Amino acid sequence: MRRWPLAAALAAGPVAGVLFPPPAAAHGIVARTDLPIPVWLFGWAAAVVLIVSFAALAALWPTPRLQGEVPERRLFRIPVAVDVVVGAAGIAALGITVYAGIAGLQNALGNLEPTVIYVLFWVGLVVASVLFGDIWRVISPWRALARAASWVSSRLSSGEPPAALEYPKWLGRWPAAAGILFFAWVELTYVNKDDPSTLAIMVLAYVVVMLVGMALYGIETWSERADPFGVYFGLFARLSAFERRDGVVYARPPLAGAPKLELWPGTIALLCVAIGSTTFDGLENGPLWGSVRLHLISFFGGGLTGEQWGSTVGLLVCIAVVAVFYRLAVGGMSEVGEDHTPSELAQKFAHTLIPIAFAYALAHYFSLLVFQGQAMAHLISDPLGRGSDIFGTSRTGIDYNVISAAGIWYVQVAALVIGHVSGLILAHDRAVAMYRDVRDAVRSQYWMLVVMVGFTSLGLWLLSAVNT
Amino acid sequence: MKRAALLALLVAAIVVAFVLAKGSGSNNNTSTSASGAPVTIHVVNGKPQGGIQKITLNKGDRVRFTVDSDVSDEIHVHGYNFHKDVKKGGSVSFNFPATIDGIFVIELESRGEQIASLQVNQ
Repeated sequence: MRRWPLAAALAAGPVAGVLFPPPAAAHGIVARTDLPIPVWLFGWAAAVVLIVSFAALAALWPTPRLQGEVPERRLFRIPVAVDVVVGAAGIAALGITVYAGIAGLQNALGNLEPTVIYVLFWVGLVVASVLFGDIWRVISPWRALARAASWVSSRLSSGEPPAALEYPKWLGRWPAAAGILFFAWVELTYVNKDDPSTLAIMVLAYVVVMLVGMALYGIETWSERADPFGVYFGLFARLSAFERRDGVVYARPPLAGAPKLELWPGTIALLCVAIGSTTFDGLENGPLWGSVRLHLISFFGGGLTGEQWGSTVGLLVCIAVVAVFYRLAVGGMSEVGEDHTPSELAQKFAHTLIPIAFAYALAHYFSLLVFQGQAMAHLISDPLGRGSDIFGTSRTGIDYNVISAAGIWYVQVAALVIGHVSGLILAHDRAVAMYRDVRDAVRSQYWMLVVMVGFTSLGLWLLSAVNT
Repeated sequence: MKRAALLALLVAAIVVAFVLAKGSGSNNNTSTSASGAPVTIHVVNGKPQGGIQKITLNKGDRVRFTVDSDVSDEIHVHGYNFHKDVKKGGSVSFNFPATIDGIFVIELESRGEQIASLQVNQ
Protein backbone atom coordinates (compact mmCIF):
# COMPACT_ATOMS: atom_id res chain seq x y z
CA MET A 1 0.00 0.00 0.00
CA ARG A 2 2.28 2.72 -1.23
CA ARG A 3 -0.17 5.51 -0.75
CA TRP A 4 -0.56 5.17 2.98
CA PRO A 5 2.52 7.00 4.20
CA LEU A 6 1.49 9.92 2.04
CA ALA A 7 -2.08 9.88 3.17
CA ALA A 8 -0.96 9.70 6.77
CA ALA A 9 1.35 12.64 6.30
CA LEU A 10 -1.38 14.62 4.62
CA ALA A 11 -3.75 13.90 7.42
CA ALA A 12 -1.14 14.74 10.03
CA GLY A 13 -0.73 18.25 8.68
CA PRO A 14 -3.96 19.99 9.48
CA VAL A 15 -5.01 17.65 12.24
CA ALA A 16 -1.83 18.07 14.29
CA GLY A 17 -2.30 21.80 14.14
CA VAL A 18 -5.68 21.49 15.79
CA LEU A 19 -4.25 19.90 18.90
CA PHE A 20 -2.21 22.92 19.81
CA PRO A 21 -3.84 26.22 20.72
CA PRO A 22 -2.82 29.34 18.85
CA PRO A 23 -0.56 32.18 20.57
CA ALA A 24 2.43 43.76 16.22
CA ALA A 25 2.00 45.55 13.23
CA ALA A 26 5.00 45.98 10.91
CA HIS A 27 3.44 48.64 8.77
CA GLY A 28 2.76 52.26 9.53
CA ILE A 29 -0.56 51.98 7.73
CA VAL A 30 -1.76 48.91 9.59
CA ALA A 31 -3.75 50.23 12.55
CA ARG A 32 -5.49 46.99 13.39
CA THR A 33 -4.22 43.41 13.23
CA ASP A 34 -6.63 40.53 12.78
CA LEU A 35 -7.38 38.31 15.72
CA PRO A 36 -5.97 34.79 15.24
CA ILE A 37 -8.47 32.35 13.80
CA PRO A 38 -9.81 30.27 16.70
CA VAL A 39 -8.97 26.60 17.17
CA TRP A 40 -12.45 25.35 16.28
CA LEU A 41 -12.42 27.16 12.95
CA PHE A 42 -8.89 25.98 12.24
CA GLY A 43 -10.09 22.43 12.87
CA TRP A 44 -13.10 22.75 10.61
CA ALA A 45 -11.08 24.32 7.83
CA ALA A 46 -8.43 21.62 8.06
CA ALA A 47 -11.07 18.91 8.01
CA VAL A 48 -12.77 20.42 4.98
CA VAL A 49 -9.45 20.69 3.18
CA LEU A 50 -8.72 17.01 3.79
CA ILE A 51 -12.16 15.80 2.79
CA VAL A 52 -12.17 17.96 -0.32
CA SER A 53 -8.73 16.72 -1.27
CA PHE A 54 -9.59 13.07 -1.11
CA ALA A 55 -12.95 13.66 -2.73
CA ALA A 56 -11.10 15.43 -5.54
CA LEU A 57 -8.94 12.37 -6.08
CA ALA A 58 -11.97 10.12 -6.14
CA ALA A 59 -14.18 12.26 -8.36
CA LEU A 60 -11.88 12.28 -11.33
CA TRP A 61 -12.73 13.56 -14.70
CA PRO A 62 -10.82 11.46 -17.21
CA THR A 63 -10.43 14.04 -19.98
CA PRO A 64 -9.12 17.58 -19.63
CA ARG A 65 -11.72 20.34 -19.51
CA LEU A 66 -9.77 23.54 -19.13
CA GLN A 67 -6.97 22.95 -21.62
CA GLY A 68 -7.07 24.36 -25.10
CA GLU A 69 -10.38 25.72 -26.34
CA VAL A 70 -12.92 26.38 -23.62
CA PRO A 71 -16.50 27.47 -24.17
CA GLU A 72 -16.81 31.22 -24.03
CA ARG A 73 -19.54 33.74 -24.59
CA ARG A 74 -19.16 37.07 -26.34
CA LEU A 75 -20.44 39.81 -24.04
CA PHE A 76 -19.82 43.28 -25.42
CA ARG A 77 -17.26 45.49 -27.08
CA ILE A 78 -15.33 48.12 -25.18
CA PRO A 79 -14.34 50.85 -27.65
CA VAL A 80 -10.80 52.20 -27.78
CA ALA A 81 -12.07 55.54 -26.50
CA VAL A 82 -12.60 53.90 -23.11
CA ASP A 83 -8.96 52.81 -23.11
CA VAL A 84 -7.92 56.38 -23.78
CA VAL A 85 -10.07 57.82 -21.00
CA VAL A 86 -9.12 55.15 -18.43
CA GLY A 87 -5.45 55.40 -19.39
CA ALA A 88 -5.58 59.17 -18.95
CA ALA A 89 -7.22 58.66 -15.56
CA GLY A 90 -4.43 56.22 -14.67
CA ILE A 91 -1.82 58.80 -15.61
CA ALA A 92 -3.63 61.45 -13.58
CA ALA A 93 -3.84 59.13 -10.56
CA LEU A 94 -0.13 58.39 -10.86
CA GLY A 95 0.61 62.11 -11.03
CA ILE A 96 -1.51 62.94 -7.99
CA THR A 97 -0.05 60.05 -5.99
CA VAL A 98 3.54 61.00 -6.73
CA TYR A 99 2.84 64.69 -6.13
CA ALA A 100 1.26 63.91 -2.75
CA GLY A 101 4.25 61.76 -1.88
CA ILE A 102 6.71 64.53 -2.60
CA ALA A 103 4.80 67.65 -1.58
CA GLY A 104 2.60 66.26 1.19
CA LEU A 105 3.03 65.59 4.86
CA GLN A 106 5.74 62.97 5.37
CA ASN A 107 3.54 60.66 7.38
CA ALA A 108 2.30 57.19 6.48
CA LEU A 109 -1.33 57.74 7.43
CA GLY A 110 -1.79 61.45 6.76
CA ASN A 111 -0.52 61.27 3.18
CA LEU A 112 -2.57 59.81 0.35
CA GLU A 113 0.35 58.04 -1.27
CA PRO A 114 1.20 55.06 1.01
CA THR A 115 -2.45 53.99 1.15
CA VAL A 116 -2.80 54.23 -2.64
CA ILE A 117 0.34 52.13 -3.17
CA TYR A 118 -0.01 49.51 -0.44
CA VAL A 119 -3.77 49.14 -0.29
CA LEU A 120 -5.53 50.22 -3.50
CA PHE A 121 -2.77 49.22 -5.88
CA TRP A 122 -1.01 46.26 -4.29
CA VAL A 123 -4.07 44.59 -2.77
CA GLY A 124 -7.06 46.16 -4.48
CA LEU A 125 -5.87 45.41 -7.99
CA VAL A 126 -5.22 41.76 -7.16
CA VAL A 127 -8.84 41.37 -6.09
CA ALA A 128 -10.14 43.46 -9.00
CA SER A 129 -8.10 41.42 -11.49
CA VAL A 130 -9.66 38.18 -10.30
CA LEU A 131 -13.14 39.70 -10.37
CA PHE A 132 -13.01 41.61 -13.64
CA GLY A 133 -10.03 40.32 -15.61
CA ASP A 134 -6.94 42.15 -16.74
CA ILE A 135 -8.13 45.69 -16.09
CA TRP A 136 -4.62 46.80 -15.13
CA ARG A 137 -3.62 46.65 -18.80
CA VAL A 138 -6.00 49.52 -19.42
CA ILE A 139 -5.31 51.48 -16.24
CA SER A 140 -1.51 51.11 -16.24
CA PRO A 141 -0.20 54.67 -16.46
CA TRP A 142 3.15 53.68 -17.94
CA ARG A 143 1.55 51.53 -20.60
CA ALA A 144 -0.85 54.36 -21.39
CA LEU A 145 2.04 56.81 -21.58
CA ALA A 146 3.97 54.51 -23.89
CA ARG A 147 0.96 53.99 -26.15
CA ALA A 148 0.30 57.71 -26.30
CA ALA A 149 3.95 58.35 -27.13
CA SER A 150 3.98 55.72 -29.86
CA TRP A 151 0.74 57.14 -31.33
CA VAL A 152 2.20 60.65 -31.39
CA SER A 153 5.48 59.53 -32.93
CA SER A 154 3.67 57.55 -35.62
CA ARG A 155 1.73 60.70 -36.49
CA LEU A 156 4.81 62.90 -36.61
CA SER A 157 7.16 60.68 -38.57
CA SER A 158 6.07 59.34 -41.90
CA GLY A 159 8.66 56.53 -42.03
CA GLU A 160 8.44 53.09 -40.51
CA PRO A 161 8.81 53.09 -36.72
CA PRO A 162 12.11 51.53 -35.61
CA ALA A 163 11.76 47.80 -35.10
CA ALA A 164 11.73 46.62 -31.49
CA LEU A 165 14.70 44.65 -30.22
CA GLU A 166 14.13 40.97 -29.83
CA TYR A 167 13.33 40.18 -26.22
CA PRO A 168 15.78 37.51 -25.01
CA LYS A 169 14.04 34.17 -24.56
CA TRP A 170 15.99 33.25 -21.45
CA LEU A 171 14.92 36.46 -19.73
CA GLY A 172 11.25 35.44 -19.73
CA ARG A 173 9.46 36.70 -16.65
CA TRP A 174 12.63 37.07 -14.58
CA PRO A 175 12.44 40.89 -14.60
CA ALA A 176 8.91 40.60 -13.23
CA ALA A 177 10.03 38.18 -10.51
CA ALA A 178 12.88 40.50 -9.53
CA GLY A 179 10.58 43.53 -9.52
CA ILE A 180 7.94 41.92 -7.32
CA LEU A 181 10.67 40.70 -4.98
CA PHE A 182 11.98 44.24 -4.74
CA PHE A 183 8.50 45.62 -4.04
CA ALA A 184 7.93 42.98 -1.35
CA TRP A 185 11.30 43.87 0.14
CA VAL A 186 10.37 47.54 0.26
CA GLU A 187 6.95 46.82 1.71
CA LEU A 188 7.99 44.33 4.34
CA THR A 189 11.52 45.13 5.37
CA TYR A 190 12.81 48.46 4.08
CA VAL A 191 13.40 51.03 6.83
CA ASN A 192 11.72 53.80 4.83
CA LYS A 193 8.81 51.71 3.58
CA ASP A 194 6.25 54.25 4.75
CA ASP A 195 8.17 57.37 3.82
CA PRO A 196 6.09 59.10 1.12
CA SER A 197 8.88 60.98 -0.65
CA THR A 198 11.13 57.90 -0.85
CA LEU A 199 8.25 55.91 -2.30
CA ALA A 200 7.49 58.69 -4.80
CA ILE A 201 11.05 58.63 -6.09
CA MET A 202 10.92 54.86 -6.45
CA VAL A 203 7.66 55.13 -8.39
CA LEU A 204 9.18 57.66 -10.77
CA ALA A 205 12.26 55.48 -11.27
CA TYR A 206 9.99 52.53 -11.96
CA VAL A 207 8.04 54.46 -14.58
CA VAL A 208 11.25 55.52 -16.33
CA VAL A 209 12.55 51.94 -16.43
CA MET A 210 9.21 50.73 -17.79
CA LEU A 211 9.13 53.39 -20.50
CA VAL A 212 12.66 52.58 -21.61
CA GLY A 213 11.88 48.86 -21.62
CA MET A 214 8.73 49.33 -23.68
CA ALA A 215 10.56 51.62 -26.10
CA LEU A 216 13.28 49.01 -26.64
CA TYR A 217 11.33 45.76 -26.71
CA GLY A 218 7.83 46.83 -27.69
CA ILE A 219 4.92 47.75 -25.45
CA GLU A 220 3.12 44.39 -25.48
CA THR A 221 6.19 42.19 -25.15
CA TRP A 222 7.51 44.24 -22.25
CA SER A 223 4.13 44.45 -20.49
CA GLU A 224 3.52 40.72 -20.71
CA ARG A 225 6.96 39.59 -19.61
CA ALA A 226 9.00 42.22 -17.85
CA ASP A 227 6.71 44.84 -16.28
CA PRO A 228 6.50 43.41 -12.74
CA PHE A 229 3.04 44.71 -11.90
CA GLY A 230 1.69 44.10 -15.38
CA VAL A 231 2.75 40.47 -15.15
CA TYR A 232 1.71 40.11 -11.50
CA PHE A 233 -1.83 41.43 -11.92
CA GLY A 234 -2.03 39.60 -15.26
CA LEU A 235 -1.43 36.27 -13.46
CA PHE A 236 -4.44 36.83 -11.23
CA ALA A 237 -6.56 38.00 -14.17
CA ARG A 238 -6.13 34.48 -15.59
CA LEU A 239 -8.38 33.19 -12.81
CA SER A 240 -11.12 35.61 -13.85
CA ALA A 241 -14.28 34.71 -15.72
CA PHE A 242 -13.73 37.62 -18.10
CA GLU A 243 -11.25 38.17 -20.85
CA ARG A 244 -10.90 40.97 -23.37
CA ARG A 245 -9.47 40.26 -26.81
CA ASP A 246 -9.38 42.79 -29.64
CA GLY A 247 -11.67 45.05 -27.70
CA VAL A 248 -14.35 42.41 -27.13
CA VAL A 249 -15.10 41.08 -23.66
CA TYR A 250 -15.79 37.35 -23.39
CA ALA A 251 -17.11 35.32 -20.48
CA ARG A 252 -15.32 32.04 -19.86
CA PRO A 253 -15.24 29.47 -17.05
CA PRO A 254 -13.30 30.79 -14.05
CA LEU A 255 -9.70 29.46 -13.91
CA ALA A 256 -9.75 28.76 -17.67
CA GLY A 257 -7.13 31.41 -18.32
CA ALA A 258 -4.59 29.79 -16.00
CA PRO A 259 -3.70 26.71 -18.12
CA LYS A 260 -2.79 29.07 -20.96
CA LEU A 261 0.08 30.44 -18.89
CA GLU A 262 3.11 30.50 -21.16
CA LEU A 263 6.04 28.47 -19.84
CA TRP A 264 8.53 31.31 -19.92
CA PRO A 265 11.55 31.26 -17.61
CA GLY A 266 11.07 33.07 -14.32
CA THR A 267 7.38 32.23 -13.98
CA ILE A 268 7.86 29.79 -11.12
CA ALA A 269 10.18 32.24 -9.40
CA LEU A 270 7.55 34.95 -9.65
CA LEU A 271 4.90 32.71 -8.09
CA CYS A 272 7.26 31.61 -5.32
CA VAL A 273 8.01 35.26 -4.58
CA ALA A 274 4.29 36.04 -4.47
CA ILE A 275 3.49 33.18 -2.08
CA GLY A 276 6.70 33.47 -0.06
CA SER A 277 6.40 37.19 0.56
CA THR A 278 2.83 36.89 1.82
CA THR A 279 4.00 34.00 3.98
CA PHE A 280 6.65 36.20 5.51
CA ASP A 281 4.18 39.02 6.11
CA GLY A 282 2.03 36.55 8.03
CA LEU A 283 4.99 35.02 9.82
CA GLU A 284 6.05 38.46 11.05
CA ASN A 285 2.90 38.65 13.17
CA GLY A 286 3.54 35.30 14.80
CA PRO A 287 5.51 33.96 17.74
CA LEU A 288 7.99 31.92 15.69
CA TRP A 289 9.34 35.03 14.04
CA GLY A 290 9.10 36.88 17.35
CA SER A 291 11.62 34.51 18.86
CA VAL A 292 14.02 34.46 15.88
CA ARG A 293 13.77 38.14 15.12
CA LEU A 294 15.80 39.53 18.00
CA HIS A 295 18.74 37.24 17.24
CA LEU A 296 18.74 38.31 13.62
CA ILE A 297 18.47 42.00 14.51
CA SER A 298 21.44 41.82 16.85
CA PHE A 299 23.37 39.78 14.29
CA PHE A 300 22.95 42.64 11.82
CA GLY A 301 24.10 45.25 14.31
CA GLY A 302 20.78 46.11 15.94
CA GLY A 303 18.55 49.10 15.47
CA LEU A 304 16.32 49.76 12.51
CA THR A 305 18.94 48.73 9.97
CA GLY A 306 19.49 45.49 11.86
CA GLU A 307 15.75 44.91 11.72
CA GLN A 308 15.70 45.61 8.00
CA TRP A 309 18.39 43.05 7.19
CA GLY A 310 17.01 40.55 9.67
CA SER A 311 13.65 40.78 7.94
CA THR A 312 15.35 40.49 4.57
CA VAL A 313 16.74 37.13 5.65
CA GLY A 314 13.28 36.07 6.82
CA LEU A 315 11.71 37.12 3.53
CA LEU A 316 14.27 35.25 1.44
CA VAL A 317 14.01 32.14 3.60
CA CYS A 318 10.23 32.09 3.20
CA ILE A 319 10.51 32.35 -0.58
CA ALA A 320 13.15 29.62 -0.61
CA VAL A 321 10.99 27.33 1.52
CA VAL A 322 8.09 27.75 -0.91
CA ALA A 323 10.36 27.06 -3.88
CA VAL A 324 12.03 24.02 -2.34
CA PHE A 325 8.72 22.54 -1.30
CA TYR A 326 7.31 22.88 -4.81
CA ARG A 327 10.48 21.47 -6.30
CA LEU A 328 10.41 18.43 -3.98
CA ALA A 329 6.86 17.66 -4.97
CA VAL A 330 7.52 17.84 -8.71
CA GLY A 331 10.59 15.70 -8.06
CA GLY A 332 8.23 13.14 -6.58
CA MET A 333 5.88 13.44 -9.53
CA SER A 334 8.71 12.73 -11.93
CA GLU A 335 9.13 9.29 -10.34
CA VAL A 336 5.61 8.31 -11.27
CA GLY A 337 6.34 7.26 -14.81
CA GLU A 338 6.28 8.33 -18.47
CA ASP A 339 9.65 10.03 -17.99
CA HIS A 340 8.70 13.61 -17.40
CA THR A 341 11.62 15.49 -15.92
CA PRO A 342 11.18 17.51 -12.71
CA SER A 343 11.88 20.80 -14.47
CA GLU A 344 9.34 20.05 -17.18
CA LEU A 345 6.75 19.21 -14.53
CA ALA A 346 7.63 22.29 -12.51
CA GLN A 347 6.85 24.39 -15.58
CA LYS A 348 3.73 22.56 -16.59
CA PHE A 349 2.16 22.78 -13.14
CA ALA A 350 3.28 26.31 -12.32
CA HIS A 351 -0.15 27.75 -13.10
CA THR A 352 -1.66 25.68 -10.27
CA LEU A 353 0.14 28.01 -7.85
CA ILE A 354 -1.78 31.08 -9.07
CA PRO A 355 -4.91 30.36 -7.01
CA ILE A 356 -2.72 29.59 -4.00
CA ALA A 357 -1.00 32.95 -4.39
CA PHE A 358 -4.39 34.63 -4.64
CA ALA A 359 -5.74 32.80 -1.61
CA TYR A 360 -2.72 33.88 0.44
CA ALA A 361 -3.02 37.48 -0.68
CA LEU A 362 -6.76 37.65 0.01
CA ALA A 363 -6.58 35.85 3.37
CA HIS A 364 -3.78 38.06 4.49
CA TYR A 365 -4.78 41.46 3.18
CA PHE A 366 -8.57 41.33 3.14
CA SER A 367 -9.00 43.31 6.35
CA LEU A 368 -6.41 45.86 5.26
CA LEU A 369 -8.39 46.45 2.09
CA VAL A 370 -11.70 46.70 3.93
CA PHE A 371 -10.48 48.99 6.69
CA GLN A 372 -7.63 51.05 5.32
CA GLY A 373 -9.46 51.20 1.97
CA GLN A 374 -12.03 53.40 3.73
CA ALA A 375 -9.29 55.90 4.45
CA MET A 376 -9.39 56.82 0.76
CA ALA A 377 -12.56 58.81 1.49
CA HIS A 378 -10.75 61.33 3.62
CA LEU A 379 -7.39 61.03 1.86
CA ILE A 380 -8.76 62.19 -1.51
CA SER A 381 -10.15 65.27 0.19
CA ASP A 382 -6.83 65.98 1.86
CA PRO A 383 -4.22 64.17 -0.24
CA LEU A 384 -1.27 66.10 1.14
CA GLY A 385 -2.38 65.83 4.75
CA ARG A 386 -2.25 69.60 5.11
CA GLY A 387 -5.84 70.26 6.11
CA SER A 388 -7.57 70.75 2.76
CA ASP A 389 -11.12 69.49 2.21
CA ILE A 390 -11.61 69.22 -1.54
CA PHE A 391 -14.64 66.94 -1.59
CA GLY A 392 -15.97 67.67 1.87
CA THR A 393 -15.05 64.21 3.14
CA SER A 394 -11.87 65.00 5.02
CA ARG A 395 -13.52 64.35 8.37
CA THR A 396 -14.76 60.85 7.59
CA GLY A 397 -13.06 58.15 9.58
CA ILE A 398 -12.67 54.39 9.34
CA ASP A 399 -15.55 52.27 10.56
CA TYR A 400 -13.86 49.23 12.05
CA ASN A 401 -17.17 47.60 12.68
CA VAL A 402 -18.26 47.17 9.03
CA ILE A 403 -17.24 43.55 9.41
CA SER A 404 -16.74 41.58 12.61
CA ALA A 405 -13.67 39.59 13.50
CA ALA A 406 -15.67 36.44 12.78
CA GLY A 407 -16.63 37.78 9.37
CA ILE A 408 -12.97 38.30 8.55
CA TRP A 409 -12.11 34.77 9.70
CA TYR A 410 -14.72 33.28 7.40
CA VAL A 411 -13.40 35.24 4.44
CA GLN A 412 -9.83 34.16 5.23
CA VAL A 413 -10.68 30.50 5.63
CA ALA A 414 -12.97 30.51 2.58
CA ALA A 415 -10.20 32.09 0.49
CA LEU A 416 -7.74 29.37 1.50
CA VAL A 417 -10.17 26.51 0.95
CA ILE A 418 -11.37 27.82 -2.42
CA GLY A 419 -7.79 28.50 -3.49
CA HIS A 420 -6.90 24.96 -2.46
CA VAL A 421 -9.74 23.44 -4.49
CA SER A 422 -8.90 25.62 -7.49
CA GLY A 423 -5.28 24.52 -7.36
CA LEU A 424 -6.33 20.87 -7.24
CA ILE A 425 -8.71 21.32 -10.18
CA LEU A 426 -6.04 22.97 -12.32
CA ALA A 427 -3.46 20.33 -11.41
CA HIS A 428 -5.76 17.42 -12.10
CA ASP A 429 -6.82 18.89 -15.42
CA ARG A 430 -3.23 19.36 -16.48
CA ALA A 431 -2.30 15.85 -15.35
CA VAL A 432 -5.00 14.12 -17.42
CA ALA A 433 -3.91 16.18 -20.40
CA MET A 434 -0.24 15.28 -19.95
CA TYR A 435 -0.15 11.64 -18.98
CA ARG A 436 -1.04 8.97 -21.51
CA ASP A 437 -2.21 6.62 -18.77
CA VAL A 438 -4.96 7.94 -16.51
CA ARG A 439 -3.59 5.87 -13.63
CA ASP A 440 -0.24 7.65 -13.92
CA ALA A 441 -2.09 10.94 -13.96
CA VAL A 442 -3.84 10.02 -10.73
CA ARG A 443 -0.66 8.83 -9.08
CA SER A 444 1.09 12.02 -10.02
CA GLN A 445 -1.68 13.89 -8.25
CA TYR A 446 -0.76 12.50 -4.86
CA TRP A 447 2.23 14.74 -5.13
CA MET A 448 0.23 17.77 -6.12
CA LEU A 449 -2.00 17.00 -3.18
CA VAL A 450 1.06 17.26 -0.94
CA VAL A 451 1.79 20.68 -2.41
CA MET A 452 -1.74 21.96 -2.04
CA VAL A 453 -2.36 20.56 1.44
CA GLY A 454 1.05 21.85 2.48
CA PHE A 455 0.40 25.38 1.29
CA THR A 456 -3.11 25.44 2.68
CA SER A 457 -1.98 24.14 6.07
CA LEU A 458 0.77 26.74 6.11
CA GLY A 459 -1.75 29.44 5.25
CA LEU A 460 -4.10 28.33 8.01
CA TRP A 461 -1.27 28.10 10.48
CA LEU A 462 -0.12 31.62 9.67
CA LEU A 463 -3.63 32.90 10.34
CA SER A 464 -3.88 31.04 13.62
CA ALA A 465 -0.45 31.89 14.96
CA VAL A 466 -0.84 35.64 15.35
CA ASN A 467 1.07 37.08 18.26
CA THR A 468 -1.41 38.30 20.78
CA MET B 1 8.33 4.05 -3.72
CA LYS B 2 11.21 4.78 -1.41
CA ARG B 3 11.08 8.38 -2.46
CA ALA B 4 7.39 8.49 -1.81
CA ALA B 5 7.95 7.38 1.75
CA LEU B 6 10.81 9.85 2.10
CA LEU B 7 8.76 12.76 0.92
CA ALA B 8 5.88 11.78 3.13
CA LEU B 9 8.31 11.77 6.04
CA LEU B 10 9.55 15.17 5.00
CA VAL B 11 6.06 16.62 4.91
CA ALA B 12 5.38 15.11 8.30
CA ALA B 13 8.63 16.63 9.58
CA ILE B 14 7.66 20.09 8.32
CA VAL B 15 4.30 19.75 9.98
CA VAL B 16 5.84 18.65 13.26
CA ALA B 17 8.26 21.57 13.07
CA PHE B 18 5.33 23.94 12.62
CA VAL B 19 3.48 22.49 15.52
CA LEU B 20 6.53 22.56 17.79
CA ALA B 21 7.34 26.10 16.80
CA LYS B 22 3.79 27.06 17.52
CA GLY B 23 3.69 25.30 20.85
CA SER B 24 6.99 26.66 22.09
CA GLY B 25 6.47 30.14 20.81
CA SER B 26 3.04 30.75 22.17
CA ASN B 27 4.13 32.14 25.50
CA ASN B 28 7.04 34.38 24.71
CA ASN B 29 5.32 37.65 25.49
CA THR B 30 6.26 39.06 28.84
CA SER B 31 2.93 40.49 29.56
CA THR B 32 0.44 41.68 32.01
CA SER B 33 -3.03 40.79 31.06
CA ALA B 34 -6.13 42.33 32.47
CA SER B 35 -9.72 41.66 31.83
CA GLY B 36 -11.17 45.01 32.62
CA ALA B 37 -8.79 45.65 35.55
CA PRO B 38 -6.64 48.75 35.20
CA VAL B 39 -3.06 48.29 34.03
CA THR B 40 -0.10 50.58 34.51
CA ILE B 41 2.58 50.77 31.86
CA HIS B 42 5.90 52.16 33.05
CA VAL B 43 7.97 53.86 30.41
CA VAL B 44 11.66 53.99 31.36
CA ASN B 45 14.14 55.67 29.01
CA GLY B 46 11.45 55.83 26.36
CA LYS B 47 10.81 52.08 26.47
CA PRO B 48 8.15 49.98 28.19
CA GLN B 49 9.46 48.35 31.35
CA GLY B 50 9.38 44.56 30.93
CA GLY B 51 8.81 44.70 27.19
CA ILE B 52 5.67 45.41 25.23
CA GLN B 53 2.75 45.09 27.63
CA LYS B 54 -0.35 43.19 26.73
CA ILE B 55 -3.89 44.24 27.52
CA THR B 56 -6.46 41.59 26.69
CA LEU B 57 -10.18 41.95 27.12
CA ASN B 58 -13.49 41.31 25.47
CA LYS B 59 -15.51 43.53 23.25
CA GLY B 60 -17.85 45.58 25.41
CA ASP B 61 -15.44 45.75 28.39
CA ARG B 62 -13.81 49.02 29.33
CA VAL B 63 -10.20 49.57 28.39
CA ARG B 64 -8.46 51.14 31.39
CA PHE B 65 -4.76 51.77 31.57
CA THR B 66 -2.30 54.33 32.84
CA VAL B 67 1.07 55.26 31.36
CA ASP B 68 3.85 56.52 33.66
CA SER B 69 6.56 58.00 31.55
CA ASP B 70 10.01 59.42 32.14
CA VAL B 71 9.96 61.01 28.69
CA SER B 72 7.50 63.48 27.26
CA ASP B 73 5.61 62.17 24.24
CA GLU B 74 2.15 61.51 22.90
CA ILE B 75 0.41 58.21 23.58
CA HIS B 76 -1.50 56.93 20.57
CA VAL B 77 -3.98 54.07 20.67
CA HIS B 78 -4.17 52.89 17.05
CA GLY B 79 -7.48 51.90 15.51
CA TYR B 80 -9.43 53.67 18.25
CA ASN B 81 -7.33 56.69 17.39
CA PHE B 82 -7.06 58.20 20.88
CA HIS B 83 -4.18 60.58 21.46
CA LYS B 84 -3.05 61.97 24.83
CA ASP B 85 0.09 63.86 25.72
CA VAL B 86 2.22 62.76 28.61
CA LYS B 87 4.82 65.00 30.27
CA LYS B 88 8.26 63.92 31.36
CA GLY B 89 7.83 62.26 34.76
CA GLY B 90 4.07 62.48 34.46
CA SER B 91 1.32 59.99 33.90
CA VAL B 92 -1.82 59.82 31.81
CA SER B 93 -4.83 57.53 32.04
CA PHE B 94 -7.15 56.11 29.42
CA ASN B 95 -10.63 54.80 30.01
CA PHE B 96 -12.79 53.94 27.02
CA PRO B 97 -15.16 51.19 25.93
CA ALA B 98 -13.73 48.36 23.80
CA THR B 99 -16.00 48.74 20.79
CA ILE B 100 -13.70 47.40 18.04
CA ASP B 101 -12.30 43.89 17.98
CA GLY B 102 -8.80 43.13 16.77
CA ILE B 103 -5.25 43.75 17.93
CA PHE B 104 -4.07 47.34 18.23
CA VAL B 105 -0.73 48.99 18.79
CA ILE B 106 -0.35 51.50 21.61
CA GLU B 107 2.75 53.57 21.06
CA LEU B 108 4.79 56.62 21.92
CA GLU B 109 3.84 58.49 18.79
CA SER B 110 6.85 60.70 18.16
CA ARG B 111 9.35 57.97 19.00
CA GLY B 112 7.41 55.32 17.12
CA GLU B 113 8.01 53.02 20.11
CA GLN B 114 5.33 50.42 20.80
CA ILE B 115 4.63 50.17 24.53
CA ALA B 116 1.59 47.93 24.59
CA SER B 117 -0.62 45.72 22.50
CA LEU B 118 -4.36 45.94 23.03
CA GLN B 119 -6.24 42.80 22.14
CA VAL B 120 -10.01 43.01 22.05
CA ASN B 121 -11.58 39.60 21.61
CA GLN B 122 -14.99 39.44 20.13
